[in-house]
Amino acid sequence: MTGLHWLTAVEAAEAIRGRKLSPVELTQALLDRIERLDPRLHVFIRLDRDAALEAAKAAEAEITAGRPRGRLHGVPVGIKDIIDVAGLPTTCHSKILIDNIAAADAVCVSRLRAAGAIVLGKLSTHEFAIGGPSFDLPWPPARNPWNTAHHPGGSSSGSGSGVAAGLFPVALGSDTGGSVRNPASACGIVGLKPTYGLVSRRGVFPLSFTLDHVGPLTRTVSDNALMLDAIAGHDPLDPGSAAVPPGHYAAGLERGVRGLRIGFIRHFHETDLPADPEVAAGLENVAATLHKLGADIRDVRLPTLGEFGAVNRVILQSEAWAIHAPWLRERPGDYGQLARRRLLGGAFISAGDYVQASRRRLEMIAVVENALREVDVLLCASAMDPPSRIEDAAETERTYPRQARTPFNVTGHPALAMMAGLSSAGLPLSVQFVARYFGEGMLFQVARAWEHAAGTDEKHPRID
Amino acid sequence: MDKAIIELLARRAGLERALKEFPDDVTSAAEQASSWVANMQAPREPHAEPWPPMKPGTGL
Repeated sequence: MTGLHWLTAVEAAEAIRGRKLSPVELTQALLDRIERLDPRLHVFIRLDRDAALEAAKAAEAEITAGRPRGRLHGVPVGIKDIIDVAGLPTTCHSKILIDNIAAADAVCVSRLRAAGAIVLGKLSTHEFAIGGPSFDLPWPPARNPWNTAHHPGGSSSGSGSGVAAGLFPVALGSDTGGSVRNPASACGIVGLKPTYGLVSRRGVFPLSFTLDHVGPLTRTVSDNALMLDAIAGHDPLDPGSAAVPPGHYAAGLERGVRGLRIGFIRHFHETDLPADPEVAAGLENVAATLHKLGADIRDVRLPTLGEFGAVNRVILQSEAWAIHAPWLRERPGDYGQLARRRLLGGAFISAGDYVQASRRRLEMIAVVENALREVDVLLCASAMDPPSRIEDAAETERTYPRQARTPFNVTGHPALAMMAGLSSAGLPLSVQFVARYFGEGMLFQVARAWEHAAGTDEKHPRID
Repeated sequence: MDKAIIELLARRAGLERALKEFPDDVTSAAEQASSWVANMQAPREPHAEPWPPMKPGTGL
């Protein structure tokens, strides 16, 4: 088989199940590609080559013996380095945790392994999922495979860059203020922040307890549904885990959008944070395409991005301060500058401010819930700009907060970001869809309709 | 935010070392936090509850 690196997880798993593809051959092909491209992309903090090949051989033996393990059997995955993989360091891309070896797999990793996935290694992140892109850390920041002079988004930077570059078909990331959807947007792939509580956070280094989500990054919508099928489910030992039955997220993928009501939140990108003209045109094109496919597009208004952002940051900084205060007091010099600046903020927010933000949060949830009673899905911007040049710190500082992802960390609704097209400079443009709580199936249905109409799953960077 | 207040709050939070080694970072963080708080609209309705809601779990 040729071009193994562009196989989707669904295609690879099917070929492996049908004994048309060896998981060893697939894993070796990806390891070779990683060896060739990673010196330019800096996706990996720790590549676990030997363990991956051993797992691939074991998968091959199980399949040959007629003992298929699950729907990801033999499929390689990458894991963001804030998520525990037993026996490997969880560094959070930081000097602070450089020697921190995980004793056990995070629940999401153990669920991937139970489905048969092969862990390739640990991936670059912004430091502690908040400080990046940074050049003053023990490892360099990941770069965008569409143009390595550009930022791949973050904080799940390695996850986004590696999936887009064909180093692995699927990866795990985390999302507290948009950190799955940002790299998905910047790298032209599919990134899902599931409903709060749908995927266990146990074994994932926390940034902000009530805003943290774990989610998959993939090149296709169907791969994203496949990943969610594997990792979703109640975990009684995660206090934030929702006791809901797992869904079958790929079941309605091809249902289309005819008759669906889609609420377009135009004010996010028109007046709250006026978007780059190519981003705005891309969003209008998505809405027009879905309308042509039979959806009813109507305008929806929510609180402004400024308000959502303020509530997100007050909560995030307060909760992150509770986690990082001891290190910030004793080892401030062991953080990179960006993480240090962003994490110190919590020292200056009062308990009263935190409670007020949490009260305002409940009001905002009610507004979004009301909007989702009138429509099936919301459509809005993800990033307001194409990805910045990674070494242009001022441009990155300017564009990084210009996004519409934080609202759905505040409210906990499921949100998916994906490619809306390419800019004139050949960089990905993005769109975001949002659904009701536990409505990931509907989210995938709409995202798949757009993907199919636009062919976004067939667009790959020319990194070779 | 006034510089003296920033220093006072930083010392109260145990950040003497950060104040000494990274004073600009401390100031920047304080100003950013102050800006986030100022941009937030606190509820005026006294009965507005926070999220997550207070509810008994298995620990009670």
